[in-house]
Amino acid sequence: MIKILGASWIRKNKSGLKNRGLTYKYADLKSLYLVLKEKGVFSSPVENFSRFDQESKLAAIAAGLALYDAGMLYSPGKKQDIGILAVNKNGSLNAQLAYFKDYIDSGRILGRGNLFIYTLSSSPLAEAAIHFGLSGPLLHMSFSGNQNNTKLIEYAQEMIKSGQVKTILVLKSTDSETSCFVVGRR
Amino acid sequence: MPGVKVVIAESDLITSYGLGIAPLWKGLLEKKICFKTLKRFSLKSSPGFKAAYIDGLTYLKNKSLAFQMLEGVFAKNKSRIPSDAFLILATTVGEIDILEKYLLSGKGSAKESVMTNLLKKVERLAKLKVPGMVLSCACASSSAAMAQAAALIRSGKKDAVLVVAVDSINEFVSSGFSSLMALDKSRAKPFDKNRSGLSLGEAAGFILLMSEKRARKEGRRIEGEVLGWGLSCDANHMTGPLRDGSGLIKAILKALKSGRITSSDIGCIAAHGTGTLYNDAMEIKAFKEVYKKSIPVYSIKGAIGHTLGAAGLVEAILALKVLKEKVIPATVGLENIDPEAKGWVSLSERKLKNNSLMLNNCGFGGINAALILKHND
Repeated sequence: MIKILGASWIRKNKSGLKNRGLTYKYADLKSLYLVLKEKGVFSSPVENFSRFDQESKLAAIAAGLALYDAGMLYSPGKKQDIGILAVNKNGSLNAQLAYFKDYIDSGRILGRGNLFIYTLSSSPLAEAAIHFGLSGPLLHMSFSGNQNNTKLIEYAQEMIKSGQVKTILVLKSTDSETSCFVVGRR
Repeated sequence: MPGVKVVIAESDLITSYGLGIAPLWKGLLEKKICFKTLKRFSLKSSPGFKAAYIDGLTYLKNKSLAFQMLEGVFAKNKSRIPSDAFLILATTVGEIDILEKYLLSGKGSAKESVMTNLLKKVERLAKLKVPGMVLSCACASSSAAMAQAAALIRSGKKDAVLVVAVDSINEFVSSGFSSLMALDKSRAKPFDKNRSGLSLGEAAGFILLMSEKRARKEGRRIEGEVLGWGLSCDANHMTGPLRDGSGLIKAILKALKSGRITSSDIGCIAAHGTGTLYNDAMEIKAFKEVYKKSIPVYSIKGAIGHTLGAAGLVEAILALKVLKEKVIPATVGLENIDPEAKGWVSLSERKLKNNSLMLNNCGFGGINAALILKHND
């Protein structure tokens, strides 16, 4: 049976785990990351975490918490057949604004590569995939109307049923919350 | 993997060769290269910047580049698309020129550039009644979209899925690739020993996937079959591929398994073939590992450039023509074959001896997609 094996959420100044019932208060994402690292949520440092854009930081933390909630271990360099899907309303709009504003401000001579790479809506997922060794499908989706996480969880279940991948992380971001679900067979 | 047979019932596109498959096919057989000096904007970091663009599009005016291309494609195809088809729109940055316009002139709003807005416009253009979705995974967007469309049909969840793909050449994307030093100073030369980067192109198009049953019931001309698909992620680096090709190999092996065929059933490979040092080397490594003996490989990015999120769809439509004509085009733009690619790519056309083709695309973030298309003689 395909189920939600673990889940996490991050809101302003607070984050939590569904199965383990734990919550963590935090001042900023960097401090949350450091606390979670201390608690063993991350088995190794997330490389370049401080250089990530906001969405990538949220994706990495939410994915780490959800995997931890599901009791799924990972180790650096070891790949697992896990996919990652995400849904949000505005894609990578903030990163796109940041990149092009910076490019204009610098006289439209040369863009900054480190800002450009986050202008794809799939980039935060890729950062998470790199750290956690997720080698399954990686897709960013947006739907007409409501950006419904039920739709995305159902979609993930179908992907697993059809044999595309064994386990999927489903990320959903709104202005007020980022949540992540681990969907798979127990 | 048993299930409903997935067929391609309609398709059309626009590339820098013009509207439709005919000019694309003719241009490739004539080895015509489309890169010209771009006048839409000047790229200070890359003087004399050339790209494969579509003539006649206006930039930073009323309509986005993406929308203008799609209008051109749908103008002659509306009646062929069933209104109950589920839409999957594949793009990397969609109408990003709306955001450019807002930041450069203060006109409009940056929020208008989000991809769900373009999704609604496409739903209207194609006169669709079912809400669709946007799928974005870098330069593998449209091949991944076709894979998801095929999965929905094979499982019986849908019986008609319209995959629409588009990406344009704009200052945003061009300056970004320039900042990553990814552009070839002259023009892309896929699988060439002197290759040094990609060249940008733009394109839009659609493919209508259907269950075979519905396509036959509606009397549609079946252009080919989507036999198998596989998606993977390198989980290694944001911009560079996994050098040993193992990420792409995983996608290819998944596709073969999904199509219930072996590598010896594949007649040729439509490679991603961007012209970057690492992508092309990685692909050849992956092909050698999977296929063992050389089979024909070609890339079209030396002719029409890298059309980003639209690349997979353009290459799939072309692949249907390759399968039908049994002619494998030369890799246009190639001059001196990389020794590692000898026996795989060619400066001239070849005959196709099989009726199945493997299409590969790879994108930033290490995303890989493999799709097997089949022509039923």
